[in-house]
Amino acid sequence: MAQLELQGLSVQFGGLRAVDGLDLSLEQGELRCLLGPNGAGKSTTLDLICGRTTPTGGAILFDGRDMTRLPVFKRARVGIGRKFQTPTVFRELTVVENLEIARSARPGVLSSLTVFRSRLQGRMREVLDLVELGDELHTKAGNLSHGQMQWLEIAMLLMQDARLILMDEPTAGMTIQETRKTGEIFNSLKGSHTMIVVEHDMSFVRQIAETVTVMDQGGLLAQGSIEEVENDPAVREAYLGDGGNGHA
Amino acid sequence: MDVFFNQAFAGLSMASILLMVALGLAIIYGAMGVINLAHGEFVMLGAYSAWLLQSYLGLGILASLPLIFLMVGLIGLAVERGVVRWLYHRPLDTILATWGIGIVLQQLVRMGVGSDSRYVARPTILDGNVAIGGVVMSNYRIFLVFFSLSVLAATWYLLTRTEFGTKLRAVIQNKEISECYGIRTDRIYALAFAYGAGLAGIAGALVTPLVSVTPGMGTYLVVDAFLVVIVGGVGSLLGTAVASGLVGEATALFSFLMNDTLGRVAVLLAIIMLIRFKPQGLFPDKVRR
Amino acid sequence: MNRNFSFDCIGYALFALLLLVVVPWGLGFDGFELNTFARYLTLGMVAMALALSWGCAGILNLGQAATFGLGAYIMAMHLKLKASVNMPDGMPDFMGWTNVESLPWFWEPFHSLPVTIAAGLLVPAAVAAVMGIFMFRGRITGVFVAIITLAFLVAIQLVFVEEQRYTGGENGLTGLAPLELFGWTADNYSLSFYYFVAGCLICALVLALALVRSKVGLVLRAIKENPDRVRFFGYDVARYETLAFCASAAIAGWAGMLYVLVLEFASPTYMGVPFSLAIVIWCAVGGRDSLVAAALGGIIVNMLEGRLSDLFVDGWTLFLGMLFILVVLVMPRGLFGVFHGALARVIAFYRQARLERRESLAISRSVVSGTHDKGGR
Repeated sequence: MAQLELQGLSVQFGGLRAVDGLDLSLEQGELRCLLGPNGAGKSTTLDLICGRTTPTGGAILFDGRDMTRLPVFKRARVGIGRKFQTPTVFRELTVVENLEIARSARPGVLSSLTVFRSRLQGRMREVLDLVELGDELHTKAGNLSHGQMQWLEIAMLLMQDARLILMDEPTAGMTIQETRKTGEIFNSLKGSHTMIVVEHDMSFVRQIAETVTVMDQGGLLAQGSIEEVENDPAVREAYLGDGGNGHA
Repeated sequence: MDVFFNQAFAGLSMASILLMVALGLAIIYGAMGVINLAHGEFVMLGAYSAWLLQSYLGLGILASLPLIFLMVGLIGLAVERGVVRWLYHRPLDTILATWGIGIVLQQLVRMGVGSDSRYVARPTILDGNVAIGGVVMSNYRIFLVFFSLSVLAATWYLLTRTEFGTKLRAVIQNKEISECYGIRTDRIYALAFAYGAGLAGIAGALVTPLVSVTPGMGTYLVVDAFLVVIVGGVGSLLGTAVASGLVGEATALFSFLMNDTLGRVAVLLAIIMLIRFKPQGLFPDKVRR
Repeated sequence: MNRNFSFDCIGYALFALLLLVVVPWGLGFDGFELNTFARYLTLGMVAMALALSWGCAGILNLGQAATFGLGAYIMAMHLKLKASVNMPDGMPDFMGWTNVESLPWFWEPFHSLPVTIAAGLLVPAAVAAVMGIFMFRGRITGVFVAIITLAFLVAIQLVFVEEQRYTGGENGLTGLAPLELFGWTADNYSLSFYYFVAGCLICALVLALALVRSKVGLVLRAIKENPDRVRFFGYDVARYETLAFCASAAIAGWAGMLYVLVLEFASPTYMGVPFSLAIVIWCAVGGRDSLVAAALGGIIVNMLEGRLSDLFVDGWTLFLGMLFILVVLVMPRGLFGVFHGALARVIAFYRQARLERRESLAISRSVVSGTHDKGGR
């Protein structure tokens, strides 16, 4: 059975149907790239899955459980993590403190009352090494470079150990090397984590994607391997025809 | 039935005072996001100005209104230039600073003219009552209702039909872009603040025949007026007017059903509920920053 | 985190030393002076309580005096009952004047001291819990929290003044008996009483510090910056905010109880808007980012008030208002912000100096030895 299933998902803002009857299903451990021209509803789809926006129609199933009306924090506890387009870290907190916030296996008030020290071993150390922030442990996140902040947010998602990770343009503002490194991390997460990545950078998509979903005007346009999708006439039409400013 | 109408008129009368106090506050909060806790002291200064002008120059309340508007407006201008303008990017801190200003103004008055209650005579042409059946309405209170509505109309005209108003609304919507078009935002802010303060002064002068004038008279008035502004919806003159009417009438009604104090408590709790479930107010402003 | 912790410890130790040794010594163990200072301590305690919600979680509670007043009235009810044992039916005198037939049921539990103490902490906390759930579940923040708490304060004070039959109305509760705790009778002009109050303050500070330094404090700081992001990590933001709000209320209630012991009466002015905003002033002057600093703010401002109002009876209030405007304009982080900034600059200066010395040493050594061993060690 699919881990995540969207059934006829719709949301309407005023008169605009941002997402319109979207069906999508993801297997456990799959990495799915979400493509589409501007305004196709990609970010809105992520918002719907993580609970930031409430759908006006359709259903979201995670592990067969209906999540459509669950508040944000409960979805996070079930295992849905989200990375935003602009790096959204706690700028007033240090790197370690940010990661401690992200270590949220026990998010209750009472269990938080008993934690006084951030353990730097184990998972925290692994994650820090992976994103190479080991030297910046006590730097305030607001003082990191843009790239480092993106890394920190990714590290926070790893720390959160979300089973489904939603990434909105994770490589925005990264150098080529940083982007490649990010791709390697994503590839290593395949199998253990399910990921949905919204991305415009096609070389990055080629590096990580197995299956690609293309959205247009709030609905599903095409789905398949990169080659299949690239040769799909409907996709070419969507990109080059009306919305076309050539992302692909 | 007469009791009911008498009570309704009492509510209307209270609403008219609330409206005049709240209008100035609404402009200051709506335009600049400044929570001006010194507003009650502007009202108090208006009341004392009326007392001063009447006791020493023999001017009646109505004759001294323009002068009071100017005087309190100038004090407001000084407060804005001296303190408030440094705090536009720290809205919560304006609560604290304006409270400090309130303390200073109160104490200055206390040291200047003492803390005894003062009384101001009602204009003689507005003496007397109108009685319709068993409903007795004092002429002065009727006058207040109409006067507050005309202040509302004048403010509406100022904000929508004059160049100043257009600029102010532009600044409210986008300060940076307005600056790019050559609007001097600091001057607009200062004038708006002074206008709000002047309105408070007029309100203070007009309530003097109804309440005793003391240095601390503004403290609780400002809380009420602020609740009215929030309930009405930030940046909405109509909202402020409707909310004044609602709060005034509700207070009169609950006071009638219970007693004065518990009526006020009931209204406060109702307001808390309203803010909780409709923090953007009854008439939310659709475009705001 | 560790360096912060050791700074905390030093700060708390100095503060405890100040309260327990320096102050009594400096006041010459004079009963009247000690009582006055004990009053400052309780006011410092309520300022510290505000720092817990305002500084730590960003919840500006303009109605802090409400919970303070609740604690005060609860303690006063107990002491009033104790003073009324010889009255008919053990009823407080003012109830007789207003023709109350029998002792109201909600006065009954306060015959017992343990119940009173528990209630003095729990009733304010429970009220705060209801308010907190009510506000924070609706994602009410910032200015709206300030306005709601202020309106609530006005409402609760009105009720206490109005229900004269049960609360003593404008007069409040006066003519109270002294507290008896484990056979010790609290004489509020004694050294032992001063130590009792100081001990309570230090105890409350340590408890509050534990909260702030636990992960709860960290989550609260994160919430202050970006509550939405915190939700995406699975934290129930409203619950954390409510906890901070409750803890703050419980400490304020505690301070209120002590305040009644110091002054020997409870008055509805404890729940007034002026008093509540004064608490905000103390907290801001001391620095809302630090619990000890906020407590010191309460102590210092009230001490100044005590000394200066003797000298200039009227001028004092004027001075207080101006002080407050100045603090907001010039040092928005309070005395603590100034101190913290200065300390950080000194530390940075020394670290830089040490680094330069080490580098120059390393260079001279490498010149001598002819190697390019940069580390020098």
